Amino acid sequence: MYLLTTEDLATLATELGRSHDLYGPLRRPAGGQVFFDRVRGWGEIDLAAPIPSMPPKEILFPQFERILRYRYDRKTKEVAIEKRYFERPKVLFGVRACDLAGIQCLDRFLLGQEFVDDVYLAHRRKSLIIANTCVEPFPQCFCVCTHTGPSAEEGYDLNLTLLPNGGGIHAAEVGSDAGRALAERFGWEKATEADRARKNAVVERSISLFPELARDNKAWVSRLMNRVTTGFIKPEIWEYIGKQCFECGACSFVCPSCSCFNIEDAPLRSGECERLRTRDSCSFEGYTRMAGDHNPRKPVEDRRNKRFFCKMSFSQSKKYLRPGCVGCGRCAWVCPGDIGLPNVVQYVRRETTEQVTRV
Amino acid sequence: MCEESRSTAIVTMPEIVTIDEIRDEAPEVKTFYASFVDREVGERFRLRSGQFIMCTVFGAGEFAVSLPPSPEHDRLHITVRRVGKVTNALHALGPGDKLGVRGPFGNGFPFEEIKGKNVVYVAGGIGLIPLRSSIVHVLQHRREFGRILLLYGARTSADLLYRRDIDAWRKTDGFEPHLTIDKGEPGWGGEVGFVNKLIEKANVPVENTVAFVCGPPVMFNSTIAELLRRGMSEDHIVSTLERQMKCGIGKCQHCAIGRTLVCTDGPVYTYRQIKTLGEVI
Repeated sequence: MYLLTTEDLATLATELGRSHDLYGPLRRPAGGQVFFDRVRGWGEIDLAAPIPSMPPKEILFPQFERILRYRYDRKTKEVAIEKRYFERPKVLFGVRACDLAGIQCLDRFLLGQEFVDDVYLAHRRKSLIIANTCVEPFPQCFCVCTHTGPSAEEGYDLNLTLLPNGGGIHAAEVGSDAGRALAERFGWEKATEADRARKNAVVERSISLFPELARDNKAWVSRLMNRVTTGFIKPEIWEYIGKQCFECGACSFVCPSCSCFNIEDAPLRSGECERLRTRDSCSFEGYTRMAGDHNPRKPVEDRRNKRFFCKMSFSQSKKYLRPGCVGCGRCAWVCPGDIGLPNVVQYVRRETTEQVTRV
Repeated sequence: MCEESRSTAIVTMPEIVTIDEIRDEAPEVKTFYASFVDREVGERFRLRSGQFIMCTVFGAGEFAVSLPPSPEHDRLHITVRRVGKVTNALHALGPGDKLGVRGPFGNGFPFEEIKGKNVVYVAGGIGLIPLRSSIVHVLQHRREFGRILLLYGARTSADLLYRRDIDAWRKTDGFEPHLTIDKGEPGWGGEVGFVNKLIEKANVPVENTVAFVCGPPVMFNSTIAELLRRGMSEDHIVSTLERQMKCGIGKCQHCAIGRTLVCTDGPVYTYRQIKTLGEVI
């Protein structure tokens, strides 16, 4: 562990910005909304900003991404085809612990199964991640329930924690060879055991500040996992949840671990064609519809059921090596039907409690 | 972090093939014969019966399509019905046009497990396309299997696919084809009625037998019900599933059914597996 002053952080960001594209949390001047986006320099990065509206997944797994470009001439029958990935090295500076857990889910799912996703690998191979501990929770957070925060435990190159009463001093834990190389290159001050204790105290205090509901639901998240996996949730619960779903797909788009995508070939005016990969959502009716209009999943509750199965079932967790929900609370934040994951936990909990009291 | 795919399949960048020949199989159904532009790629392209490819029609998009018998003893070819945007664009192509190919993907048929058994194929309409490669394999290894039955039904006699192939297969000793069409037609001397009715008529064995079933949902469900009624084990009924697919490599998740992905865990499943997946066929 090292101790970094604000100047050290500024130097780090500036130096990395020379060789990498620099991304970090920034507040939009109008409205103050926080985004994790490309920044011009350290001056724009706001490490104290609340968790960004969209997770940094956006950078490693963009909403729209060109993966191929080709031209086919039907007269000469000639095909010209080329890979077009975004391969520039990037630094994600100030990633919240929940969002880092989401990136780890993507890593394990997209790179760790039978096949490797080349497009995601091209992004991930050259990216550095500097995590940032949440010294206090934000209103929608429940990472204490999903064991993803408030401080990252793995998957980072560096993990920053703002120490109290230290004039902006951050504790920095090293989590990879790349992180170690940075520590050696910049020669930061080594932290003591006392500093480590201070960092741990920051995390403990942060946990204590989570709303009662979040801490109370901790056991119920694993209960939901059990219920989803074994299929012990009554169909009426899914119907109730399905009736509230607007089928807008927002929950999937803001979720740090959702990675479903669609592939479309889009013709350009030049006569070329681009193969685009765009994010998709299992909320949509057309998600499973095949040519000829056969659709194995029809009712909306069936599709809602599948989403929570994907987030919370044991079999899916084996692909992520953790549950798919990372406790960021964004789905609850954006859902117009009020069926974000915390509420689903509540519904299942209510049903179970009623069953128990009836017996 | 893993540096490259562990499979030898063509994953992201399609390889180019040239259409050599197109045959009409039935109304709206054509077979496209093609060869790889790069011969080396063609030689490396090894497939198992039951696998599929993602086929690019340039300018239109990509679709999943089941593969023919191994090209070692046959040319690469796909049989496709004209249904949606991409398959319509494919049907508009002619010899000399290029296609893109990614794959092969999927698990393939379980030939080792079924050695020594009777094999029954039950197909409805274009459901014969994915089963055909299995039939060819089984007939080529005739001595490893018991009785080999094909029960095949289509709406009209014109919709029956691979009639030439079926006639050629008849020459194999002990191959029993039974064809049926939904309604009688002038000049049709064969069976009339749905394919599940043939199970009774053909006296399909259930002991030491494996059934491969593929067809539209109604036909599939009635066939399975009949086979189970006759006492066939759920483990010995095998089918190949069709789903919306975008990537073929287990990432886009469009083909997820419960805990499995049809593209990497399937497309071949036993009925016992299908039943536990918890989604309608």
